Amino acid sequence: MKSKIKHILKKELREMFRDKKSLAMMLVIPIFIPLLVIGMSALFNLEMNVPITDYNQIGFAYSMSDTEKSLADSMNIEVYTGSIDELEKMFKDEKIKAYFTKEDNHYTIHGNDTTNSTYALELAKNYFDTYKSILQKDLLYEEQIDANKILNIITLEENIKIEDNYFASYIINYAFLFIIMAITVSATYPATDATAGEKERGTLETLLTFPIKSKDIIIGKFLSVTISSIITGLLSLILAIISLKLAGNLFPIYENMNLMLPLSSLCYAIMVIIGYSLLISGLCIAIASKCKTFKEAQSALTPLTFISFFPGMIAFMTGITTSNLLSCIPFLNYTLIFTDISNGNINGIHIILMLLSSFIIIALLLKVIIKEYKSEKVLFS
Amino acid sequence: MLKAENIKKKFTKITKNKEKFEFYANNGISMYAYDGEIIGILGPNGAGKTTFLRIIAGILEPTSGAVTFDELNYQDNETEIKKNIAYLSGNTKIYNTLSCYELLLMCADIYDVEKNDAERRILEISKTLDMDSFLYNRIETLSTGQTQRVNIARCLIHNPKYYILDEATNGLDVISSEIILNFIKNEKKKGKTIIYSTHYMEEAENICDKVLLMNHGKIILMGSPDEIKKETKTANLREAFFQKIGEDNNEE
Repeated sequence: MKSKIKHILKKELREMFRDKKSLAMMLVIPIFIPLLVIGMSALFNLEMNVPITDYNQIGFAYSMSDTEKSLADSMNIEVYTGSIDELEKMFKDEKIKAYFTKEDNHYTIHGNDTTNSTYALELAKNYFDTYKSILQKDLLYEEQIDANKILNIITLEENIKIEDNYFASYIINYAFLFIIMAITVSATYPATDATAGEKERGTLETLLTFPIKSKDIIIGKFLSVTISSIITGLLSLILAIISLKLAGNLFPIYENMNLMLPLSSLCYAIMVIIGYSLLISGLCIAIASKCKTFKEAQSALTPLTFISFFPGMIAFMTGITTSNLLSCIPFLNYTLIFTDISNGNINGIHIILMLLSSFIIIALLLKVIIKEYKSEKVLFS
Repeated sequence: MLKAENIKKKFTKITKNKEKFEFYANNGISMYAYDGEIIGILGPNGAGKTTFLRIIAGILEPTSGAVTFDELNYQDNETEIKKNIAYLSGNTKIYNTLSCYELLLMCADIYDVEKNDAERRILEISKTLDMDSFLYNRIETLSTGQTQRVNIARCLIHNPKYYILDEATNGLDVISSEIILNFIKNEKKKGKTIIYSTHYMEEAENICDKVLLMNHGKIILMGSPDEIKKETKTANLREAFFQKIGEDNNEE
């Protein structure tokens, strides 16, 4: 008897594409990626380009010399003077963002950890260092000592490579992490509908009376969920590329940066999307088929969304890099390899190990579900 | 010929106190049905009728015993047997998002009916079951009676040899029930075997060649409606039913 997989696949796909919720899960979730990329980029840009007028109000609780006044003026500092109590009140009322107090030659800068105050403290520190340097130079001049020789006894030059743009790598990695999450969310709905949903609607009994082997039923359902996940993954990737390109043009923080991935990296990214779609579809089908109702299956699958996201996020934050062992750990391996792809550090062995470990897991999961569909457990569990 | 030999089906229930409780839904059921026979299965709720029919239809596996169709068993010939069976229950649900035509075409495809034959059969069946007015409508838009007619059409599409009907007229109006009963009679004329469970005694008395009365997972009486009435010295199947079930419950 020839395989009936294509019949089940056709039926599942037809049901999926006619169900508004399935379609929404498949097609709407990727739309969040441009929002994430553009939104985060705008936020970074805002953080990096705060206008000085937002934080240059600095108080001085002492009488300033002419040198100090002129320095403050040259540094665009809006000077507020008054007693300590007056400045404290102005600070509380957010009229000033930081203020100096002075006792003999000891200065204290007061501020807090709000964004504007942090910037004001930075400005105040610059002001203080510059003023200290002027005083030091004056003193050395009085002592007839070459100030440059003393003050510049050692020098520091900053040589920062333009490729090491923190924001660019951050945004690309997060876009990839979100693709993983979008695929997970997209797989849960059709997997639930095809298993627990079918059970709840009572159509599973009908399906089991057909001359179709359990293996064909499961593989058909698994492939339909995988196709839905791949569609979401590819759509997410396309939207991520478009939004990265757009962000690169829109925001000065990515100036001189190429946010686009080379074609080879995109091919690897597609490979990762397909591999991950297969893995997550197998997992979702395995979990959902154990549940009696749609609601129960959705509750059981919710943690999977977080599980898919967190290992990658932790790896990204802690700077874990891919190894042969980590390439075999589900979820972590996909996000690590996605990070490698975005950084251009592609390792073929890691990709092979990632796919191999996934295929083994998928085969084991499918074996368990097929066994379940052969027994009455599938109707009564 | 359909043969069921010493069918036992054990289920395990877990009580609220998490204690395991085992019981037999079917406890040694044996029966046979010749080609062209209508076998009625009667019994109160919980007698094990649905479990037995599900075992015959290959949805459940018996704990022990065997079911054979024309000497073929489920262990070795599951798909071959299922190609010759149509299963329909009062609760059978079908795919709501498909139109009746799409569903029937899908079923025909699954049962390896050639596409041209399938299209011809769909039109024939649609005419017989008076489905023409809603053949291309989505199933989700149909009434209960119309949906059950689509279900019957689904059963007919592959021209099976055996029909297993579990309370198929349950909850249907008189007209829809009549359509199903006519369908059963017509199929019998074609030499098809029908295993049929129902709560409607008069229905069973009118159309069944043989009746099995089940209680507590066992067959307590078997024979033609006339034989049963003679044995129990009652005027109809309803009286025979109450008498035998009463006796069996007292013995238990």
